[in-house]
Amino acid sequence: MIVGGGTAGWLTAGVIAAKHRHRMSAGFSVTLVESPTTPIIGVGEGTWPTLRTTLARIGVSETEFIRHCDAAFKQGARFARWTTGAADDYYYHPLMYPQNFSQLNLAPHWLAGGNGHSFCDAVCPQGRICDDGLAPKTITTAEYDAIANYAYHLDAGKFAPFLQQHCCAKLGVHHVLADVRRVNVHEDGDLRSLDTEQAGEIEGDLFVDCTGFKALLIGEALGVPFKDCGDVLFCDAALAVQVPYENETSPIASNTLSTAQSAGWIWDIGLPTRRGVGYVYSTRHTSDDAAERELRGYLAGAGKDRPVRKISIRSGHREIFWKRNCVAIGLSAGFLEPLEASAIVLIEMSAKLVAEQMPACREVMDVIASRFNATTHYRWGRIIDFLKLHYVLTQREDSAFWRDNRLPETVPERLRNLLLLWRHQSPWYHDEFDRIEEVFPAASYQYVLYGMGFRTEVDPGTLAGDAGGAERAMRENLAHTERLRAGLPRHRDLIRRIHEQGLQPV
Amino acid sequence: MNVTAATPEFELLNAETHGHLRLCRRDDDAPHFVQIVAGEFAAAAACCPILLSKDATTGSFYAGAMFGFRPGESFVADVVARSGFHPLSLQRDGFFISGADIAIDRSCPRFSDTEGEPLFDEARQPSVGLRSIQRALGQLHAGIKQTNGFIGALAELKLIEPIDVTLDFYGNEHLMLQGLYTVSLDSIHELDDAAVLRLFRTGYLQLAYTMNASLRQIRILAQLRDRLLRRIASAKAAARASAPAAASASAGDNRAESVR
Repeated sequence: MIVGGGTAGWLTAGVIAAKHRHRMSAGFSVTLVESPTTPIIGVGEGTWPTLRTTLARIGVSETEFIRHCDAAFKQGARFARWTTGAADDYYYHPLMYPQNFSQLNLAPHWLAGGNGHSFCDAVCPQGRICDDGLAPKTITTAEYDAIANYAYHLDAGKFAPFLQQHCCAKLGVHHVLADVRRVNVHEDGDLRSLDTEQAGEIEGDLFVDCTGFKALLIGEALGVPFKDCGDVLFCDAALAVQVPYENETSPIASNTLSTAQSAGWIWDIGLPTRRGVGYVYSTRHTSDDAAERELRGYLAGAGKDRPVRKISIRSGHREIFWKRNCVAIGLSAGFLEPLEASAIVLIEMSAKLVAEQMPACREVMDVIASRFNATTHYRWGRIIDFLKLHYVLTQREDSAFWRDNRLPETVPERLRNLLLLWRHQSPWYHDEFDRIEEVFPAASYQYVLYGMGFRTEVDPGTLAGDAGGAERAMRENLAHTERLRAGLPRHRDLIRRIHEQGLQPV
Repeated sequence: MNVTAATPEFELLNAETHGHLRLCRRDDDAPHFVQIVAGEFAAAAACCPILLSKDATTGSFYAGAMFGFRPGESFVADVVARSGFHPLSLQRDGFFISGADIAIDRSCPRFSDTEGEPLFDEARQPSVGLRSIQRALGQLHAGIKQTNGFIGALAELKLIEPIDVTLDFYGNEHLMLQGLYTVSLDSIHELDDAAVLRLFRTGYLQLAYTMNASLRQIRILAQLRDRLLRRIASAKAAARASAPAAASASAGDNRAESVR
């Protein structure tokens, strides 16, 4: 029983129903109860490459998805003005791994000599592909296959209805439009049923809370406390605006653009139809009016007649995510600023975990719940660390926001220890980030660390053995980069072609 | 493949303007993968593999006969001589349909003022050669529609699967062919009866089996290429043994160029 019909609700319904579709005839059912009146928040327009696997697994055609959700390709993020704040200060966090990453750590070799390129360009083609405005594949690449690893930017307001249609028509999910009046709890503390306005009482065995910030089940009914992390991540508000393109042939960026401001940062996401732009900021460090002025300044006149919508952010998550027979997925579980587009990926990972670990009976549910809590807790922790990493590495002194972000007491202990370690050895393949489904791989830490000018001390003696291999790998990467730049189509051209002709499923 | 003339630079064919024009045979620069239509499948399958590939501009599937494994390397001439199968799209190379007329692309190297067979006879009537090109164009035009129907049905029933071909040749050469697709017999066997009957009645089932059966021609084509490589190598070795080094190396290299 899934309560709530936003992105979290429908993605979870799709993942669970697809995984268990052969049990439906034996009585297994997925029901999604959704209020006909509550508006969908539609978090985040950025996703991770995991969404390709998730959509393929629930049986959605990529062509249909791209057409119906105004999706575009995302090949990582370009972070501007995060390190020094200068006009030419930027780096990429791409989605491709560094060349030969599983065999060879290129970071110390790049640190020792470099080859005149940024770390990203020295080890991976994707920054250059994004600079050129190219797509990560061609019209002959099969659906969900990539030439360069990619995720999507999408219109969240269209994504949930698209999934709903698929879940109900193809996967046998029962859709109940009803307002929940009361959540009924057993004497033993388990959830028993929902009293609804329009559909009477609905019972369930396992409840998934996808009710958004309201957290109707996990928060209101079961009283699981919220763990605020505003002491680590300061941003607590956002101003969002939708900006039209100059004309319908304007290039679409194939990466998220994240530009640091005086008290936060601005996201800039290109969909085929419009740009979504927003300023995420700390109300302790700036006012709403000043933030809007900064946002309008960034837009330089574009979309000046478009209204700005304010969204309040409370960074943090539930102390536990699965209690008794109720699991929270989506905003009910928590929220973090969208700096690394972690909202949808956490939904996917949680839904997958629930689907794969689906308790066979009530007796084993608590065992599974504690596993789920341990894993999910670890994931939120790593995301918070990774987001904070972007802030602690800054050298900006121009405002209190940036200075305060470096105060040691605002940095989680685990991250502090890692930063100490990384002064002497660079993060790599299997050290530290060793979970099978790790949120951010060591490669991501490398891109941010060395993109932001972090230095790991390198003893030349330790590199000698691999020097030839490293030089060859970097040379291969440059050749690969040029091949891709010559062979990939422009991003908007490929999107248009997909709308006109479609990608083949094989 | 465009059968209809889309480019305005093409000239409408007429006896006044093109009475002098002649047509050469150019099998030596023939492509290694040639688009064919459903009506050609049976003849093609008897002498070469039929596979699906994707059009580079639209991403949509088309059927093709394979005459070689690499661009610039085609056994078309051997196949035509051996089996008589000459793909329609090669027969009409340079000719297009334009409404009720025929248009030609003068930049096509087949056309010449001096060499080859004339397009029109002395009475300014279409020559035998031109008449057979007219027929080929008509068959292609109708055939592409039918073939697209066939491929559409395969795609709809999810019967198309990618095929990985890895071949080893003389001299430690490995070739990996990518971007090729065929019909999955496993998927055909999983179809429900209604779908099978529909495929049978439309004639698509026969085409699907023909395509699949033609896969064994890949091996035969590979043997052909392997034998050629061996012949070239032994010719090189013989030349090296009997003649001054400089002259023999250049003769051998020239022949090697023609396969690569």
